[in-house]
Amino acid sequence: MTIATTVLSVLQVLIFPGTLFLLVLAFFYEWINRKFLARLQNRYGPMYTGPGGILQPFADFLKLLSKEDIMPITADTLLFSLAPVFYSALPLTAMFIVPVASQTGLISFEGDLIFVLFIFTLIVVTIFLSGWCSMTRFSVIGGVRAALQMLGYEIPMALAIVGPAIVAKSLSISGIVEWQQSNNIWNILLQPLGFAILVICLLAELGYVPFDIPEAETEIVAGWQTEYSGRKLALFRLGKDFELVFVSALLVSLFLGGPQQVWIVPSIVTFLIKTVAVVLLLTLLRAVFARFRIDQMISGMWKYLLPLAILQIILIQFGLGGLPL
Amino acid sequence: MGYGSTIKVPFGPQHPALKEPANFIFDVDGDIVVGIKPRIGYNHRGMEKAFELRTYLQNVYLAERICGICSDAHATAYVQGVEELLGAEVPPRAKYIRVIVAELERLHSHSLWVGVAAHEIGFDTLFMYLWRDREAVMNLLELISGNRVHYAMNTIGGVRRDIPADLIPKIKQALDFLEERTKYYLNMVKTEQTILKRTVGVGVLPPKDAVDLCAVGPTLRASGIKNDVRADDPYAAYGEIPFNVITHDQGDVFSRMLVRVEEMLESVNMTRYALDHMPAGMIRVKVPMAVPKGEAVSRVEAPRGELIHYAKSNGTTKLERYKVRSPTLGNIPAVCKTLMGGHLADVPIILAGIDPCFSCMDRMAFVDVKTSKHWVWTTQELKRHTSK
Repeated sequence: MTIATTVLSVLQVLIFPGTLFLLVLAFFYEWINRKFLARLQNRYGPMYTGPGGILQPFADFLKLLSKEDIMPITADTLLFSLAPVFYSALPLTAMFIVPVASQTGLISFEGDLIFVLFIFTLIVVTIFLSGWCSMTRFSVIGGVRAALQMLGYEIPMALAIVGPAIVAKSLSISGIVEWQQSNNIWNILLQPLGFAILVICLLAELGYVPFDIPEAETEIVAGWQTEYSGRKLALFRLGKDFELVFVSALLVSLFLGGPQQVWIVPSIVTFLIKTVAVVLLLTLLRAVFARFRIDQMISGMWKYLLPLAILQIILIQFGLGGLPL
Repeated sequence: MGYGSTIKVPFGPQHPALKEPANFIFDVDGDIVVGIKPRIGYNHRGMEKAFELRTYLQNVYLAERICGICSDAHATAYVQGVEELLGAEVPPRAKYIRVIVAELERLHSHSLWVGVAAHEIGFDTLFMYLWRDREAVMNLLELISGNRVHYAMNTIGGVRRDIPADLIPKIKQALDFLEERTKYYLNMVKTEQTILKRTVGVGVLPPKDAVDLCAVGPTLRASGIKNDVRADDPYAAYGEIPFNVITHDQGDVFSRMLVRVEEMLESVNMTRYALDHMPAGMIRVKVPMAVPKGEAVSRVEAPRGELIHYAKSNGTTKLERYKVRSPTLGNIPAVCKTLMGGHLADVPIILAGIDPCFSCMDRMAFVDVKTSKHWVWTTQELKRHTSK
């Protein structure tokens, strides 16, 4: 490996399409999310920091960094400090697998789809641990709820993600993107049911209404986040933004064809347009429901979503959901 | 969690579900509430003592400040009590104006409540929409009285401001808008699946319990009991205005929601009728400063339920004793009953279901339960306690 390619790959990881680019994207998508939610609710949303309040998420992040960092005396010190770091690092790691600027991600290997599922689970485990190690009532209840919720949506989500992998005959996200582009078709057209199931499960993963059960404000204050403040809370919020970017990028890669070069428009632009559309969709869904109760959520997931996810897989086996012959 | 052990979950006095200071400690087994211990009295404001220190006219403004949302109900209850002591007859036009302001207040209070209920179940969009449309009522009240919250319309012997004829078309226009929006929300509450999931069959209060535990207002009416001071013991001009007492018989949070939204439609119609049939004439009569010796109980149907004021005069320009029983206090035993056996996630919406207003409710008295002896603190003792 020459020095030039080494420098190039280091720059790729650090700047584009790596950490710095994703950081900017994370704050930008949080702004889109907040602004669009506010407009749907007939509010203004962020207004004053930058044009249209576009710098507000960044300003909030800086403000939280400078705030006092309080730790409950009963908390498990090590875990309490490590949880925010893990929470923000996990979705960022996963983002390197998802193709952003070209057909393949920064790191791509056969089986990285399984790795992504593993990261989704690790995020929830981190949430559970951060709630548990706070050792206060609201945090513990929030953490337990997050873990319970995962028991509900994890299997339908895995099945919905496996759908595109079956038709593309590849367990790598880059492979699925390549398959869609070489066949010139999007998976959403082939498997609309799978897309819908994945969107619902990812709403739960993100903790958006109607699945914001682990942090239900009116019930358990801030749920598993209750005891966090200052820079630890800032990291949690950053992690949530990374998760939003990651989730929308994953949906785009698996179902919407990923970053495609159309005519002279570079693939990064189509990637941005598609992910923004997904963020808008998630925000819209977030605005139009009331929150479910945890028992309703889990029974709904097992009663309706899981059979539907299995149905989708069966349909693919019968040739519906693959390429039209 | 679980395995037969319970954990104690405190709600309040500072908690996002309760915007006012009250404390409920729940024994939670897994996700089920198995025990509840309410603690009220965080916000004793010395209102009743303050009533005894001011003149009758000053007290009108004090009564209005018992509550920010049902300010007109408290003021009406107070002036009615004093008018009864004085034997003063209020002019008919003033009675109609009192009804108009009271019904507009009910409109804004109920739409506020439906918004809060939506927020409690995590439906923030509905909350924002309702509070936006509630502004129409607030503007209307400002148009009529000059104020958005404390209208200062009532005075002893009548009302302070007339509703001129040129305002009536404007009021009616706003009422049309409100009626249309309320119908939209009624339809939405009835059909939106996530709302139904969270409210139907939640916090059920059977009719017998509702009566036994002295529930009042929409909480009682949602259990199928037809009870409304406006119909049972008409005050102001309610005896002359036709209206339906809304009841629903499921007794759950959904019924409470329906009762309130349908009452909003009823209020729109009552206000329209009152505007059309308002008699001409004076709006107030002159009353003497000093009130003859006597006692009076005044009842008003506040948006949250039956409100009772008791006044005792001693022939001077100041009250001898005053007592306020706000509707929230009447609903506390009932809400504790409905919370038992429910899910922890349903606690906020059930608590909010009675439309609690804790700051209006808190009074102070010392009672020794064993010897049933009761006493009061002097100002010095209170001061000593607060500076501890």
